[in-house]
Amino acid sequence: MTADTAPSIPDLRNSQLRFRAMESGHRACLGCGQALAARLVTESAGPDVMIANATGCLEIFTTPWPESAWRIPWMHSLFENTGAIASGMEAALKAQGKSTKVIAQGGDGGTFDIGFQALSGMLERGHNVLYVCYDNEAYMNTGIQRSSSTPHAAMTTTSPPGKERMGKRHLKKDIISIIAAHHIPYAATASVAYPSDLRKKVRRALAIEGPTFLQIHAPCPLGWGHEGDQSIAVARLAVQTGLFPIIELERGRLAGAMPLRDIKPVTDYLKAQQRFRHLFQDDPRAREELEHLQALADHNIEVYGLRGEAPDKLDSEGADTVQRGGVRWA
Amino acid sequence: MALILTRGGFALPGTSLNFKTGTWRVQKPYHRHLSAPCHAVCPAGEDAQAYIAKVDEGHFQQAWETLVAVNPLPAVTGRVCHHPCESACNRGQFDEPLAIHKIERLLGDQAIEQGWAYPVEKPRKSALRVAVVGAGPAGLSAAYHLVRRGYNVTLFDQLPEPGGILRTALPAYRLPRLVLDAEVGRLLAVGIDFRPHHRLGRDVSLDELKADYSAVFLGPGDQKSREWSIDGVVQRDLHVGLDLLKEWVAMGSVPQCKSVAIVGGGNTAIDLSRILKRAGVGEVHVVTHQALPGPDIPKEEAMSAIRREIDQALEEGVVIHTHRGIRRLILRGEKVVGVELVHMKKMEKGGKKQTIAFEGTETVLHVDQVIPAVGQEVDPFGMETLLHQKNAFEVDHWGRIAGQDGIFVGGDARTGSSGTVSGAIGDGRRAAEAIDAFLREDKAPEENEAPTLAFERLNLNYYEHAPRQREVVLPVDKRLGCEEIEGGLSISQVSLEARRCFSCGNCFACDNCWTLCPDQAVLKTKELASDGSHYVFDYDYCKGCGLCANECPCGFIAVEEEI
Repeated sequence: MTADTAPSIPDLRNSQLRFRAMESGHRACLGCGQALAARLVTESAGPDVMIANATGCLEIFTTPWPESAWRIPWMHSLFENTGAIASGMEAALKAQGKSTKVIAQGGDGGTFDIGFQALSGMLERGHNVLYVCYDNEAYMNTGIQRSSSTPHAAMTTTSPPGKERMGKRHLKKDIISIIAAHHIPYAATASVAYPSDLRKKVRRALAIEGPTFLQIHAPCPLGWGHEGDQSIAVARLAVQTGLFPIIELERGRLAGAMPLRDIKPVTDYLKAQQRFRHLFQDDPRAREELEHLQALADHNIEVYGLRGEAPDKLDSEGADTVQRGGVRWA
Repeated sequence: MALILTRGGFALPGTSLNFKTGTWRVQKPYHRHLSAPCHAVCPAGEDAQAYIAKVDEGHFQQAWETLVAVNPLPAVTGRVCHHPCESACNRGQFDEPLAIHKIERLLGDQAIEQGWAYPVEKPRKSALRVAVVGAGPAGLSAAYHLVRRGYNVTLFDQLPEPGGILRTALPAYRLPRLVLDAEVGRLLAVGIDFRPHHRLGRDVSLDELKADYSAVFLGPGDQKSREWSIDGVVQRDLHVGLDLLKEWVAMGSVPQCKSVAIVGGGNTAIDLSRILKRAGVGEVHVVTHQALPGPDIPKEEAMSAIRREIDQALEEGVVIHTHRGIRRLILRGEKVVGVELVHMKKMEKGGKKQTIAFEGTETVLHVDQVIPAVGQEVDPFGMETLLHQKNAFEVDHWGRIAGQDGIFVGGDARTGSSGTVSGAIGDGRRAAEAIDAFLREDKAPEENEAPTLAFERLNLNYYEHAPRQREVVLPVDKRLGCEEIEGGLSISQVSLEARRCFSCGNCFACDNCWTLCPDQAVLKTKELASDGSHYVFDYDYCKGCGLCANECPCGFIAVEEEI
């Protein structure tokens, strides 16, 4: 293509063969995992959707007044009532006889903690909504405070390591089991490091009539303490170590898990992030916490049966394989 | 390009596109094509990554055209080259290197079978004339690359047929004559005026060539065997390795004997040992003071023969005595009845490399023939004025001889030659470039080599293990005559093999940057393309996080400081 016939960049942008629900110009930090995850979710969902968005980074960085990055109907309410708002949107659409799908989205704070009651109600009432939780494991928007999703032993501004504690004292809440206990048709986890898997799960969830739930592991370079260019590498290690299992649950039962081919030690994942820096000092408590985190990963591997039996094209090594021409498996 | 607006509301005045996040950037990603290791080490200068990419796209003819823009003899080199490209292949550190020489060979064979025309125009009658002496790999390559550049080329050779060493000394089980005839025949047909039966110094003189042509390329090869004796003693019925090899290749016969010792560790020694085995010689020994080539053996200590050929010789029953030399010929009258072997090694002694024999390690080997295959040198006949009593031409990287404007040399006849077919082909190409520059009175050509992509720069998470495709090899008990030993790969096998390529340093359009940019700052110029660099960075919105560079599988994206 010569310079004369090459389209201008704005024309090029308008002719990209993918649905751009979330445009450029948003104010996410460099290498933001949540911005990537939200882009992947909405582009796989397509245009026939409406969004209810909880308070949080995503809401803030996509809609600074008077601008919006969204090209789809999008509503922001409060931190705690996303599930309720999405329920109402769905009920209204249903009354109008429309098939437009409703997606609710929030961070781990809005999902695990503040909006949990509204979410639980939405699931219990069986609304036809896909709820997406972008899990970056702390209240990043307000300055990296711990949430119930923050992993054990991680440093946040409200769980600093010191004389008394080695980072967060409590465990990461097992949200997917709680969601699954609502006996909903489909709940799954995904990671930005495996975009094909993520897109497949969005489409699968949207095809289901009834409440569905997706928990997406999305690194926060600022809160986790790694460079922006490492977001995918860190997210990948969370999966490969077994700390973040990639699973699917149907009606509360385990329906699928991404097998791990080469299981990495948790230290590979922890070392890459400043929020676990205190675990690598010469301190018996640090050594104990490292063993504790390894045991948590081993436990995940055991209960979800993550250990792959043979190389598989959809396991933790095969699922992100790329090919000439951009052909991916989903 | 048609404007394709996907569904979705878009209030332009209120869009975040108004906010150019590119202003935040302190570093920016950019596309950078680095050289693949296979390309960097190829003596002929082939860019294997480039033509394998075409194969992966399914464009076999384009792949061949990319290949012959550098090396016009792929069917030949795909069979006889020692393929350093595969030793350098980054995939070798992941599972197994790509079977590059098999892909090259298939492309060469397909071109012959399908009659693909060399992408060359016949030179105009008025174009300048260049003489090329010697129709071996160097001369053929030089002639072809000169025709590509629009010169009229006359190619002289003393033999009735073209091919040089490829025809006279390469056994047909390594290079079938049908393949050689077909490929060289097609090559000459691009418009090279071939004059067989012309020997320099006998039928045409160097001065005549200098007078009649604008430039001269010499690719005479090494035609004279090096002197050989053991402390001045030589048996009366001395046969020299390369001469015997040529005799067998031409006539299919060799002198009969029961057992033989061949001295030397090069390809001539190994080829000859296998030929003697085929001719019915019971015991064939190869004696060399070098070691078997291997990953831990320094190059200068290893036999120069191709490892694959050594392995096949061993399979066929040849005995190789490494780190051995001949201390004494055991003669009855003037006939050999045996040799005294001794442990030998090339070592540093008194400040220089010497071959040292270790006393007390002598053994006797009973053989009725000893054949030296210890190397060749230039036959100065007809070129005495250029050689000044030396046994090889002193030339620079481009084949130029100091103080001899318009005369260029390449192939085995130059000092520092690798002694390989692909090396000679590279010499011919470089000399053609230098001749072109000389005749256009342009400044000297420059080697424009990008740095090589190191293995560590690859992001291996995006590649999947896959076994190397295997060829059919003729079993040892069937290797009696001239039938080719190593088979090629099928088209479907080659396609699978091409898919294994890491595409080191060059985009293969995997869409990773497009998929993973959190800011949609990577745009595609085509909806689907499998060639490189059709992604565009939208620097208005790129925040410079560097995620694309880190997740680029093949090292095609780099990041540079902007402020």
